[in-house]
Amino acid sequence: MEDDTKLIEAAKSGDKKAFGRLVKKYEQLVYSFSFKICRDKQKADEVLQETFINAYRGLKSFSGNSKFSTWLYRIVTNNCLMMHRKKSHEPVVSLEETDLFKGTEELQVAHWGETPHDAVLNKELKEVLDAAIQKLPLEYRIVFVMRDVEGLSTEEVGKSLKLSVPAVKSRLHRARLFLRNELNEYFTK
Amino acid sequence: MKLVDHKKYLLEICEKVDQDLTSPTCKKLREHLSQCPDCAAYYDSLKKTIVLYRDYDVEMKGSRVKEILAQLDLDEPLRITLPKKRSR
Repeated sequence: MEDDTKLIEAAKSGDKKAFGRLVKKYEQLVYSFSFKICRDKQKADEVLQETFINAYRGLKSFSGNSKFSTWLYRIVTNNCLMMHRKKSHEPVVSLEETDLFKGTEELQVAHWGETPHDAVLNKELKEVLDAAIQKLPLEYRIVFVMRDVEGLSTEEVGKSLKLSVPAVKSRLHRARLFLRNELNEYFTK
Repeated sequence: MKLVDHKKYLLEICEKVDQDLTSPTCKKLREHLSQCPDCAAYYDSLKKTIVLYRDYDVEMKGSRVKEILAQLDLDEPLRITLPKKRSR
């Protein structure tokens, strides 16, 4: 595995081959993360290209204080937010001000049984997962994906999104309850 | 059971769902989960929610390195070399 620091330094001084190697190393990670946010393969592909172009243009500002992958996550996030706002005209919603989460903490407990644990991710289940997460405002979706799916620490997510640790925890908490609640209908019907 | 009755556990469950519950700080929650089937079911479903999203991944169809580098070439300033003026 090639050393990122050397590749980044070389790319900073204009070595495109070195940057190409960074793209090769991180493209699957970026694509996968973009898809998990956008839930659309075509959009994920657009975000992937935009992300590396922005990364190359802004490479001089990468100080090396965070991991290169964390820096890429931030660029992906910004691109997804911009694309989303451009295409949907959806305002940035603060869930504290909406009633989207009403009732998520007051539902009856239903046992999911064995189903989802061994569930094969078939087409139907994928559609359910996509539909549920797409109902979640992007700001919450991003925190959930970074923290729970990609496995970044709460501090890393906060740093990357310029959010305080309590703000990350609060969004994560709400996102988890919301998604669990959405899937509850599918697994207990 | 209404979850609201177990709110403090719900909060703790949600906070610690991705942690190792065998740690000493999770002792109380562990004890509660072993005695309360509803909270245990809730914990289980929350954990499964995360696992399902973690397992749902997509693979790229092919590398995009060439396209991306070609895009970057468009950024380069044009280098036009003008012919030298002939001295008369």
